[in-house]
Amino acid sequence: MKNISSGKAKTFFVLIGVNILIIILLTILSPTFVTYGNLSAVMQRMSELGMLAIAETIVFISGGFDLSIGVVMALSGAVAGTLNAMGVPFGLVILIALLVGVGVGVLNSFFVVNLKLQPFIVTLATMSILRSIVYALLKGNVLTGLPTGFLDLGYFYILKIPFLFIVFIVTGVLVAILLNKTITGRKIFAVGGNEQTAFLSGIYVGKIKYLVYILSGLISAMAGLMFTIRIRAVIPDAGLNAPLEVVTAVLIGGTTIYGGKGSVLGSILGILAMYLLLNGFSLLGLNPFWNVIILGIILIVVVGQEGIGKSLKMLLPGKNREMEAL
Amino acid sequence: MSTAYQPDLQKNNLKQYFQFRELPILLYIIVIIIIFSTMIDGFFTVKSFENISRQITTIGIVSVGMTLVILTGGIDLSVGAILSFAINIGGQGIVLGWPIWLVYTVMLALGVLLGFINGFLITRVAVPALIITLGTMNIYRGITMVITDGIYITGIPSSFQTVGYGFIPLVFFVIVLAFFIFMTLQTRFGRNLFAIGEGGQSALYSGVPVNKYKIISYVLSGFLSALAGIILVGKSGFIQPQAGMGYEMSAIAAVVIGGTSIFGGSGSILGTFLGSVFMGIIIAGLTMLAINPFWIGFVTGVLIIFAIALDSLRQRRKG
Repeated sequence: MKNISSGKAKTFFVLIGVNILIIILLTILSPTFVTYGNLSAVMQRMSELGMLAIAETIVFISGGFDLSIGVVMALSGAVAGTLNAMGVPFGLVILIALLVGVGVGVLNSFFVVNLKLQPFIVTLATMSILRSIVYALLKGNVLTGLPTGFLDLGYFYILKIPFLFIVFIVTGVLVAILLNKTITGRKIFAVGGNEQTAFLSGIYVGKIKYLVYILSGLISAMAGLMFTIRIRAVIPDAGLNAPLEVVTAVLIGGTTIYGGKGSVLGSILGILAMYLLLNGFSLLGLNPFWNVIILGIILIVVVGQEGIGKSLKMLLPGKNREMEAL
Repeated sequence: MSTAYQPDLQKNNLKQYFQFRELPILLYIIVIIIIFSTMIDGFFTVKSFENISRQITTIGIVSVGMTLVILTGGIDLSVGAILSFAINIGGQGIVLGWPIWLVYTVMLALGVLLGFINGFLITRVAVPALIITLGTMNIYRGITMVITDGIYITGIPSSFQTVGYGFIPLVFFVIVLAFFIFMTLQTRFGRNLFAIGEGGQSALYSGVPVNKYKIISYVLSGFLSALAGIILVGKSGFIQPQAGMGYEMSAIAAVVIGGTSIFGGSGSILGTFLGSVFMGIIIAGLTMLAINPFWIGFVTGVLIIFAIALDSLRQRRKG
């Protein structure tokens, strides 16, 4: 136990260090970086992917995988836009948009729990199915005309902090409390750590998995509404690259895909580092695709380093490491 | 463990294959052809089959490489990115006026190199293939976009279009299929791919160079992606940086629909061929019925879930 918490603390120190380093570098390199306008834009922009990262963190800790987060984000926006255009009362529109996320979560967990299918492939398939539905709903078009009162939440600030960012942070705190301070949270860790043991100690593994995917769907649907508020329109390609960005941020934050380990704070720090970098690239006028390249490299180095560390710790010769890889 | 489907040297392999796994998918194909033929005028014609054959070739060749990787228990999400990288970076040679053989060699070599990088990383750092290839997919695609700056290569000499005429893509596909069906069934390397995918330590203990073979499977996947790219250039007559977008999805679909287990250790190239034929026919049929192409992703997703549910049932029945 002591080992795990000190490892966790180390991850946080490294991450906080990286964030500070990026901030110092950008402050030196770009005069516009430390302006209120730029920083609040970064806060707004990171909010919806931050929400997705929180969702993915819960799923990873339970030992699952959810590739459909990005498309749920697009779907909840598309459903909200379509229903609104049909003249449905807006309160109901919001409710249904969020229920769509819950529905996707139920669908994913049905396949994972009841049919015992591999979550990665299942959510790859649901991702493809739902993206088709999004395109069909929007017919490939951008949808506008949502109530201004709703869209103006994007211009709403509390103590000069963007409202969307506050929603993101509050969600993060609530999920962190759920994971670390409640029995349900301990059960999620237990299921991810060792499903068999969890089952034998009386945990309803299936129920926990349903909860995890439903939470993931719900939070992703919220992210969809936040995205719609931020760009003031519904677009069919929302969240197209989200799986890579989110998975990278979550893994950088010290959550593993093996389950049973991870933290919301780490994922938030991961997303922060990513968006600071992205902001830096655009301020310095670099090709935005550099960001994709660097994300890919960071992903491999961070996850790889763990693998290298593990094999070094065990001091295994090459042959045995091969067995571990199996 | 799914030993029942491993190639058995004592028995006639082909017979065994048809008995167990490819029969249902073959039946689906016949049924879907009958349905579309009655629904659509001009579906059951040479012209439409030529179209289908041209359509399935590129993804079909990529799917063969994907099958080899999935058999070992891995996955390669970077196939589309490798395809794009190979033809776009290799295609700079066309701009420079290099001879065709040199351009093709460079393109294939790039495919081999990127595949090797995947295999090397996966075996050295002991990280799931899923994560590594998710990373390399974006690195390869990002480098392609940065170097090309998103610009198409047009005005390609007509000699590059030879590989894309009429049934020529299909000929390439058949050669690739024949070679890899033989390799998976009749060579030591091929049979060991199944053993590696079975998991556990039996492959290693029986002296199989596990890491070496895994790397080779990724190299072959990279090579075949580049080859598919060359044929794609032949068919379209231009090179675009976005080439191969979403191919990983279609290839995985063809592989699992063809009955190869996503957990590795069992499956076949023949199944993947039938899987890609099945998908090609459905896509062609939907297109001829003037159904919005948006729905292709829907159909692919449903087929994937259907296929892995079947596989999961099969695994459970075996205990």
